[in-house]
Amino acid sequence: MRMAGSIKNTRSDFRVGRALAAVLGGCAALLLGLVLRPGMERPAYAGTTPVKGPSLDNFIDYASPLEVLLSPDGARLYVLCQQSEEVRVLDAGSYGVIGKIAVGRVPRGMALSAGGERLLVTNSWDDTLSVIDTRALAVTATWKVGAEPSGVVEDLAGKYVFVANRISNDVAVLDAQTGVEEKRLLTGRAASYLTLSPDGKRIYATHIYPNPDPLRTGLENRTPPESEITVIDAQRAEVVDRIPLHSIAGVFHLAFSADGRLGVVAEYHPKNLVPLAHLEHGGAFAYTLTLFGADVGKPVEVPLDELERYSAQPFGVAIAPDKSRIYVTLAGSESVLVIDVPRLMRFLRTRPRPASGSFAQDLSASGDYVIARIPVGHNPRGLALSRNGQTLYVANRLDDTMSVIDTRTLRVATTIALAGPTTVSALRRGEQTFYSAHYSFQGQIGCSSCHIDSTFDGLQWDLEPDGFGIDIVDNKMLEDIKDVAPYKWNGGNPNLPTECGPRTEKYFWRSENYGDLQLTDLVLYIRSLPARPNRWRLPGHELTPAQERGKAIFERTVDQFGKPIPLENRCSYCHSGPQGTDRKLFDVGTRKLTDITGVFKTPQLTNIALTGPFLHDGSARTLEEIWTIYNPEDKHGRTNDLIKDQLNDLIEYLRTQ
Amino acid sequence: MRLPLAALAVAVPVAMMLNPVFGLTTDAEQIAAPDFIVTAAPAYEPLAELRGQERFPRGAQLLLVHAGKAEPLVTGFAAAADANVSFDAQTVLFAGKQSAGDPWQIWELTLKDRSVRKAIATDADAERPFYLPGGRMVWAQWTPTGFQVQSAEDGHPMGYTPWNPTAGPGVLPLTYMGTSAFPVDVLRDGRILFEAGFPLGHGSTPELYLVYADGSGVEAYRCDHGRARWGGTQVDSGDVVFTHGASLARFTSALVHEEPVQAPRGTYAGAIAETASGAWLVSARAAADARYAIKIWQPGATAMRTVLAESGEDLVEPVLVAPRNRPNRHPSGLHPWNYSNLLALDARVSRDGALKGTPVSVLLEAQDAAGRVMTMGTAPVEKDGSFFVKVPGDRPIRFSLLDFKGAVLRQEHGWFWARGGEQRICVGCHTGPERGSENRVPDVLMRTTVPVDLAGAKPVAATQAGAPGGK
Repeated sequence: MRMAGSIKNTRSDFRVGRALAAVLGGCAALLLGLVLRPGMERPAYAGTTPVKGPSLDNFIDYASPLEVLLSPDGARLYVLCQQSEEVRVLDAGSYGVIGKIAVGRVPRGMALSAGGERLLVTNSWDDTLSVIDTRALAVTATWKVGAEPSGVVEDLAGKYVFVANRISNDVAVLDAQTGVEEKRLLTGRAASYLTLSPDGKRIYATHIYPNPDPLRTGLENRTPPESEITVIDAQRAEVVDRIPLHSIAGVFHLAFSADGRLGVVAEYHPKNLVPLAHLEHGGAFAYTLTLFGADVGKPVEVPLDELERYSAQPFGVAIAPDKSRIYVTLAGSESVLVIDVPRLMRFLRTRPRPASGSFAQDLSASGDYVIARIPVGHNPRGLALSRNGQTLYVANRLDDTMSVIDTRTLRVATTIALAGPTTVSALRRGEQTFYSAHYSFQGQIGCSSCHIDSTFDGLQWDLEPDGFGIDIVDNKMLEDIKDVAPYKWNGGNPNLPTECGPRTEKYFWRSENYGDLQLTDLVLYIRSLPARPNRWRLPGHELTPAQERGKAIFERTVDQFGKPIPLENRCSYCHSGPQGTDRKLFDVGTRKLTDITGVFKTPQLTNIALTGPFLHDGSARTLEEIWTIYNPEDKHGRTNDLIKDQLNDLIEYLRTQ
Repeated sequence: MRLPLAALAVAVPVAMMLNPVFGLTTDAEQIAAPDFIVTAAPAYEPLAELRGQERFPRGAQLLLVHAGKAEPLVTGFAAAADANVSFDAQTVLFAGKQSAGDPWQIWELTLKDRSVRKAIATDADAERPFYLPGGRMVWAQWTPTGFQVQSAEDGHPMGYTPWNPTAGPGVLPLTYMGTSAFPVDVLRDGRILFEAGFPLGHGSTPELYLVYADGSGVEAYRCDHGRARWGGTQVDSGDVVFTHGASLARFTSALVHEEPVQAPRGTYAGAIAETASGAWLVSARAAADARYAIKIWQPGATAMRTVLAESGEDLVEPVLVAPRNRPNRHPSGLHPWNYSNLLALDARVSRDGALKGTPVSVLLEAQDAAGRVMTMGTAPVEKDGSFFVKVPGDRPIRFSLLDFKGAVLRQEHGWFWARGGEQRICVGCHTGPERGSENRVPDVLMRTTVPVDLAGAKPVAATQAGAPGGK
């Protein structure tokens, strides 16, 4: 029986006034916090570095350490600093700075040659590879490589350098002496991280977006994502195996035990096909490792999460030299997870292995093998173990620090403050918020769980508010979105504060998220995200002949038969303006039976070639399918009069956007 | 009136005055114990209310222990119990009776000046209050169906603008059962931990459950159901420490089952309080005929020391007088409906083992306001075990899986509810919180996105609660 009729609040007359006072007081407190917080949160820095570039914060020269390597003799630490665009070389004993080596734009990957004489750094925004002489601590060569180079390794013989190209979905094989590219090897989509096996015979490549369905079924957006580990013979430079990773989207670093019998890779296991009604019971993500190699037989997936605490966004992974432990950085949980390998092996031996090869559904499994969770700094990424396995170095990307963990005590022994600014800017605070899972229910997801590296995840999600199985939506790229309001495919959110604030809190985080000032910081960060360099655009912005032809089609006013195309049926009418969107809503005939509406906001065209699949529900695997399959009545622009070559031209032009 | 309390109202202050004379023991001088509040009662029956009886049949009083000395926390009350200190440690919610004939009501004391106000006025007993984030509070309210958990504004600024009227403002019932439920803590993730009988809705074994602050998402904390779990408290590690029978046990995030707490031998009662140093204030007694005293124990130590003991009194439910972290506010996503949509991903999956047949349909039963069981109809179960139904909101409901003959293959142990406007997904049927969802589109959603309407106004049949249904 409801009791509402017999109950009254005795202080209701105070409510409005006190609520107003609280809001004003809260704002004042938050403002005060904004002023005081930098000094309270930052470690002391030894110095500063020059402002390098347009990265994400033009005014403060953060280092943003992303990866870390130890020299073969254990004497040096090489720290790849993405935002200051340099490699910091530290003495591994004193942590003093030995040198700073400027590299290219937005460096992402780093590897040492077998003897440690040279250090290779990929520069993801200028498509180059910096070759560094580690004795001189100087760049001796800069090689032009593929699109958005990421991971890099050199084989033990010094014959080849392998570079993972995120945009072209391949690994480039370079002559290790000249840098001349000899061939490309097809990998999973968005190849990103490379690992050389301990015996030097194999290279293992991972990728961050799921592979597109090879066959068209009409249900591509309703089937689990598929990823892979691409196995390359290092001597022959050929792909020799592809280890499938079922239901995985987002694969990061991979590590081997010293004996080569155990391989481990960090990955995301999204639940994008289940309506996102709540987060408990792993409602949005499982975070897992896939184990492979002789020690485990068939590859097996093991979860890192617990029943009420998630291990958000595993990134870096390392195995102790004696194979006693696995260390995993949890970029979203701001910690390092420690796994006891003998207990893990016992778990695998004693628990019946599911037919799927995955224990990801068992949230209690990690209790059998996870032995510690060590808090570190914001957004921990790369990690490196000392040769004796007693010291673990962790790069805290958004703290400008390195955590040094004593693996005997499983505690942070010291924190190295990399030279940098002593203030935390609004942008940096916003970026920290973006990459943290702290705000969601039980720490399960953060913005970057779905917007990997501030981009997207290549998945389609079933969000709850509009019903189960209804309005499946493709996740969008975040680049250059500051001026394309309204947001959401249905244009339902008028601005980013609405998109990232109440909506996110209610339907994604399922938990209280941030205050107004923190939300402002987050929005500031998202608004700051630039478009990455467009790889299809020629220098000087001139167009190739195909692009010129495509442009003419894009802007045409009459069709092939000389018939005028109605204004609203021209490509350039809706896809207008600097971002290729008029920001209005149209029905272009793409409504599915499960859609509440067929009216969608015109998506922007920024780097459109990178953002597939396409359409509001990701049903078009390619740009071409937009017109050849999903535009039978020419409602999505007049295109049915075009032949394939013309569609190809149109695509060539769109790629330049 | 449910309690005779006049004697206690006199006895406790007198006992406090006579403390030095009769040697009522407190060795707090020897131990660094923080300030705390405790309920003192001449008789304490911790689980009596689940049976419809009185926890403090001879009344209770609240004592404030400051610098090792105890004094009555409030004056002018015939009875007081169930203290809960605000997040900033400025105020205290408690259940109290100004005169012995009054029902228990929820009051708030301001520690600075000891002023007291009634936080909520009800016609029947209201007790066990807890502060919720966002300017609300939660308590157990006596109703015709026993005590039910409710929430309302606590009279303080909310600190945010509520924008979902489905989840308030005003009084919001959070539990919808024919049996009693009592809040025992508010977890840091914003969920309310409550105790009720197992199986939920008709059982009598005390068990701990969770519910969001809008009444949605009810579930057992763990499904290794014990013989009597009650009085849980979340400690700094995130573990929930509770009393199992007369011992301490804990739930920890990594484990699917409870773990015993290796505490010194004794009989423990109800909630604990964790100090800033990690020590626990517990209510314990050495023998069944002894009185509960407040003891301080450092987890892992082999012994504990008495902080406060009163002859003739049980001292229970210690709460620290210290600021604490505020739990997260739950942003309610309830829709403005009187029904709920419920999607089962694979009803065949259960902790109870494999089914002895293939489920082809699911039958829904619901209780009406009088507790009568009504058969609401059936819905098909797909080959992958999924089903999608629309169920009545804010009422006890129960599912049974049926085979092709209509025979019951499995029936839920107890009853649960879905809030009006709730859209909920079940991984299986009684799979336990350890079972995560599989990433696939359930067959039922590939066939239709319209739930089978089992929320209709014309139930098929009605029986008395507790009787088997669904044939």
